[in-house]
Amino acid sequence: MSAADARVSDVAYSTYDGPRAGRIAAVWSLARWSSLRALGARRGWKAKLIPITLILLGFAPALVVLGLRALFGPSALGSGGLQAALPYSDYMGAIGVVILVFSVVVTPELVCPDRRDRTLSLYFSTAISRGDYVVGKVLAALMPILLVTLAPPLILYAGNMLFAIHPLAYVERHWVDIFRIIGSGLLIGFFYALVGLAISSLTSRRAFAVGGYLAFLAIPTIVGGVLAHALNENYLRLLAFAAVPIQAARGLYPGYTDRGHLSASLWAATAVEIMVVAIIVLAVRYGRDTG
Amino acid sequence: MSRNGGGEPLVEIEGVSKRYGNIVALDGVTATVRERAVGLLGANGAGKSTLMRVMLGLIRADSGSAKVLGIDASKPAWEVRRLLGYMPEHSCLPLGMTARDLVVHMGELRGLPRRVAVLRASEVLFQVGLEEERSRLIRTFSVGMKQRTNLAQAIVHSPGLVILDEPTNGLDPAGREEMLALVRRLSTELGIAVVMSSHVLEDVARTCDSVIVLREGKVAATRAIDHTSAAVRGDVRVRIVGDPDGFARAAQELGLTVHRDGGGEDGWLVVQGSDADGVLTGVRDAACTAGVGLRELRPAGPTLEESLIGAIG
Repeated sequence: MSAADARVSDVAYSTYDGPRAGRIAAVWSLARWSSLRALGARRGWKAKLIPITLILLGFAPALVVLGLRALFGPSALGSGGLQAALPYSDYMGAIGVVILVFSVVVTPELVCPDRRDRTLSLYFSTAISRGDYVVGKVLAALMPILLVTLAPPLILYAGNMLFAIHPLAYVERHWVDIFRIIGSGLLIGFFYALVGLAISSLTSRRAFAVGGYLAFLAIPTIVGGVLAHALNENYLRLLAFAAVPIQAARGLYPGYTDRGHLSASLWAATAVEIMVVAIIVLAVRYGRDTG
Repeated sequence: MSRNGGGEPLVEIEGVSKRYGNIVALDGVTATVRERAVGLLGANGAGKSTLMRVMLGLIRADSGSAKVLGIDASKPAWEVRRLLGYMPEHSCLPLGMTARDLVVHMGELRGLPRRVAVLRASEVLFQVGLEEERSRLIRTFSVGMKQRTNLAQAIVHSPGLVILDEPTNGLDPAGREEMLALVRRLSTELGIAVVMSSHVLEDVARTCDSVIVLREGKVAATRAIDHTSAAVRGDVRVRIVGDPDGFARAAQELGLTVHRDGGGEDGWLVVQGSDADGVLTGVRDAACTAGVGLRELRPAGPTLEESLIGAIG
């Protein structure tokens, strides 16, 4: 830009008479800003480090398997090939801890600061209602969580297709898997988003939310496991809340087995019940006047 | 008076009541806002914040109706809220965001397209004097800077009406002066109508065109504020010891107008000027020049405060 191109601009306040977007755009804006901030965007590198590391760990199994296939050929993965080395049905189980930790990191960041800084009254003075706020925050939690529950198996699927001798034939044979992957990713994503937000909505302190979330997932799992073993009662294994969505998602794939002989529909029903309770908690927490 | 100086009122409140349990927050409040800047005056607990929240559709009145910019505030609340600006009383800014990000975000939440929100955020942050600090985290701001950020987010979307809840709360004298000047500019220069609550009469008198006094949830009085009135100009009555003619000549040489009050038998003179500070400084200098003493000095005529106290009873 030369000096001749330069111009002095008056930074005056102007009125705006253009189009104004409605509630949907406002909810989307809330979701986008919130999820980006939860991932560390526009914050220091420390805020970005943990989410990005966990996302990379979520992709790691797919990238390792595909990398081995690319470097060493089909023989590197045994006789079953890519599909047998890492079945789609097992992917979520393989990164279950990563999903859990990721949701523990992300979801408190979405709602706790709003309570701590008393920002809710500011949000509710705009086009969004209390219900819109909850929808926006659920979307904000879901979008990053899908980065670890949906994107990695889709990458694996794409790799399997590309490494197949006839890629189009692979898609023809395995097109249903795409829907299973999406269904599995959404089920687990919604579960962790809703549960994480519900627990985080109970406190304005992020540390308490993280502790409460971990306690909610770990304590029933331990208690249920001990009691199931002592009483020889398999139904108590349903208290393993961290395993609930993953087991339910596994039921979407053929050949489902469970060492406790609990059906996939039972796991799915438990997942739905927990999500309903989480929605009720969110409705109660944000349904009343929060000033 | 409407936004354009005539026609539809900005706010119409008709018989609004609101109770919180046994506490009556609003008791049949009826008021019409036509002026471009209106102050809601009252002590803590008088119902100012509740009335503002009814206007915003944040709470539903038990009875009565509120229309804001011609829209029923209780029905499509989101529709009216995107046309309004709101500056809450207490600190409510997300401390982990920069001022610019917050203002852009609030612009989007009030219906601005993203590109427009970004442009307007720069404009309003410049207007409130935060252009240099726009990229700093809000947690690093002083109270005054936070209040200015709060004001910027309230006007970023070019609202027809901005509702300011105690905008000078917690500010030091310098910050208060800056905030009052900004608030006055909203209605006089930026074309935004203002409803401002305060428990300080002076703040309302300096920034608003009329005042609604609330007491125990009821409208106790409403008054227009005449910015050319003696009280606001700062006209004074003085009683001097010495030569009144000499004092009058000295004051007139300083650009002040002096006349005898009530014939001047008891020595009272009325001194008029263009602003309060100028009048007081002129009286001091004129007394010094004329070599007279000041026995008494009072505001000329009833002040707005006296007028309101008289109306409230």
